[in-house]
Amino acid sequence: MLGTSRRWPYLVLVFLLLIFPVACGSGSSTPQEGGDATKAPTDAPSNGEQSGKRLVIARHTDINSLDPHRAFCDTCQIVITATYQRLVGLDLSDNRTLIPQLATEWSSNEDLTQYTFKLDERATFADGSPVEAKDVKWSLERLHNLKGSPSFFVDGLESIETPDDRTVVINLAKPDSAFLAKMASPYAAIVNSDLAMENGATADPDADTTDTAEAWFMSNSAGSGPYVLVSYRERDEIVLTANENFWGDPPAIKDVTIREVMDAVAQRQLLEGGDVSIAMQISPDVAADMQSGGDIIIENVPSFNFLYLVLSPGARGLGDELNPKVRQAIRYAIDYEGLIEVTLGGAGRKQATAIPNGFLGTENLPLPERDLDRARQLMAEGGYPDGFTIDARYPNMNVYGVDFNIMMQKIQTDLKEIGIELNLQPIEFAVWLEERVDPGIPVSAGYYAPDHTDPSQYIEYFGMIPGGAWAGRVGGPDAGDVVNDKVVELYAQALAASDEATRADLYGQIGREMIEEAYIIALMNPDLVLAYRSDVQGMHYSGCCNLEIAKLSWK
Amino acid sequence: MTVDTTLAEEHSRHWFPALRLRSRRVPVPVLVGTAVLALWVVVALTVQWWAPFGPLEPTSTRLSGPSLTHPFGTDALGRDVFTRTLYGAKISLRIAVIVIAASAGLGCLIGAVAGFFRGWVDEVLMRISDITLAFPPIVLAMAITAALGPGIGNAMIAMIIVWWPVYARLLRGQILVVREQDHVLAAVAMGASPRRLMARHILPLSMSSVLVNATMDFGQVVLLAASLSFIGLGAVPPEPEWGAMIRDGAARFYHWWVAAGPGLAILSVALASNFLGDGIRDFLDPSSRRR
Repeated sequence: MLGTSRRWPYLVLVFLLLIFPVACGSGSSTPQEGGDATKAPTDAPSNGEQSGKRLVIARHTDINSLDPHRAFCDTCQIVITATYQRLVGLDLSDNRTLIPQLATEWSSNEDLTQYTFKLDERATFADGSPVEAKDVKWSLERLHNLKGSPSFFVDGLESIETPDDRTVVINLAKPDSAFLAKMASPYAAIVNSDLAMENGATADPDADTTDTAEAWFMSNSAGSGPYVLVSYRERDEIVLTANENFWGDPPAIKDVTIREVMDAVAQRQLLEGGDVSIAMQISPDVAADMQSGGDIIIENVPSFNFLYLVLSPGARGLGDELNPKVRQAIRYAIDYEGLIEVTLGGAGRKQATAIPNGFLGTENLPLPERDLDRARQLMAEGGYPDGFTIDARYPNMNVYGVDFNIMMQKIQTDLKEIGIELNLQPIEFAVWLEERVDPGIPVSAGYYAPDHTDPSQYIEYFGMIPGGAWAGRVGGPDAGDVVNDKVVELYAQALAASDEATRADLYGQIGREMIEEAYIIALMNPDLVLAYRSDVQGMHYSGCCNLEIAKLSWK
Repeated sequence: MTVDTTLAEEHSRHWFPALRLRSRRVPVPVLVGTAVLALWVVVALTVQWWAPFGPLEPTSTRLSGPSLTHPFGTDALGRDVFTRTLYGAKISLRIAVIVIAASAGLGCLIGAVAGFFRGWVDEVLMRISDITLAFPPIVLAMAITAALGPGIGNAMIAMIIVWWPVYARLLRGQILVVREQDHVLAAVAMGASPRRLMARHILPLSMSSVLVNATMDFGQVVLLAASLSFIGLGAVPPEPEWGAMIRDGAARFYHWWVAAGPGLAILSVALASNFLGDGIRDFLDPSSRRR
């Protein structure tokens, strides 16, 4: 460690190198990642000849699998939606109405336990073979039997009948008014069963141990979607090309690459330099000083994503601190507008509870408001007029443009006003996943994005019902009693109701219960930044699938 | 390493005589290093009495660029980065002083025992230090802090565990050289006790390189502490620790000032301690001086 006595010139050199990018400040586009990716001509004239141009999308990918029945990630949604089709699709104009995809029509019985689908006669897979009822049966059974992350969509699956090649009858164990919405989720993809079985896939009950097709699915697709998978290189790129045998309208853009670009700043630079045409994860803060218009278009659109604070009174080592009054006090103590301002630069909205704005039943829910007097009064009623100190452990992450460290520091400042001192401890995501179960984390924070468009998933994840994900955690490892019988009752009614107005009313009532319980406090609903070059047309946000590449075209 | 006889004579008479300022021109880098470090120490001790804002106090504007009111701008929560950088000196310098003192103390003790007694004691202690040195310091420190849980206290424990072997090896090496020198052998021949030998003849000659090393390591410890905080293992929010502040700014390339203030602070401390360490070595060990 003695070093040479004249090492300082080198240090100065290092210093100059370090400040160089800063000095060049908001300079345009110097750093380039990756070498030889197809360059999009930046100022090429807008004419029809561009249809041959490759579309390059910058995205920080998080792929766990490209096997449609094992995958469970945002990037997977995009790729699987492009390469496979489901029975029903989602109308992007309202992100709620279901539209025909492989099925032309569908119906259910009175008590919502049996769904019948009629398949489109024209539908074919990418290899030219027809999409038949047996493929639907095989795919949904495989989804169920693989017992993978997305398998819970078909939890209630009892049996599937195929009276003829074009008809599928699905029997469920319990009424499920959300079943159609679940069938629009990308993971309910219909796979070419013959092709998949040739490559090791199986739908047998023991598929979770005998299915060997995952590796094959990582470099091949077996669907009927507008694109086929050409190649996938982990943490590098995913290449798609148009399905030549596609039975619907062929996609406008033939070749597509999703390129791994880790952070928002690098994505912005590639977009500004014209190396990519779409940058998918530019945070509102990074987008704040970008000029929309000219070559680049920046749109802030409402999303269904949200961030939440979760209070677990059952966490080990905790007394009565997080009683219902105190939880309510915390809900009233948070400065929601300020929080949205400091984390997102204002590009977000308040949200009533753990059901996103825009979902069925959320229309009339009261949005949270800061009311310090009321919060202090509730603290006194809860038995803690002078407050207390409590641990807040949260994943050390940056999600939807929100830096959890910034978010929690703001909440720490807010809660200090009512005497609650938060001990902030950022932890690794993997550690967080474990600790929230055992020993439980008194105060924590999380995030959630939808997998389909029915509010039922939020009751299952956040509702205090038996088997509910957070219901199993906030009560602590010793399983304190947190089940809310009223929610259980209302939810059963909602699942059995076919009428939309009735369901909206029931989900609204459940929402009010969740607000009252205040185990989960919705903090904000961040806007999504759509950032793309002006020659891209049809850019959108899909509630089921993130982005449907086939809807894009060149201007 | 050779030590000229006049110096050796001086060493035998005084504790650290070489620290007496001789009539020699002090090189500019040493002056700069001393001044910068002294300034930081003064800041760390007095900042609470004159800082324009509180380190956790939100001001009216968030993410505003450098201005007269906010020389280093404000961060995402609207806190004054200049104030936080100054307060950061309290944390960073305290960490550095404690870690250096503890690891130098522990390391010297172990090194002295190993070098003086040799034999199996030496073997065992040096193998332990070899094992520790075999890991890249940042990786080992990360592993230890992650196991103990994030926090400044745990980060300091980790850094001490990582750092002591450097001093143990250094002092042991010095002692092995010094104990064979004539004046030490003479003292042995005259029947000096081991304690007296160690205290009066061996340690004074060996300590100079430890002091040089400690000064140079000062900057590196500040850097390591900041690195641990940067990856979320050291200081926890909202403490105004330099590494944690840079982390806050790292995701905000277009608000460069959030990370620039603490970055410059770390740079100045690291550079200054290097300059000062070089200078002290030149004083203590004329043979390595280059003009």
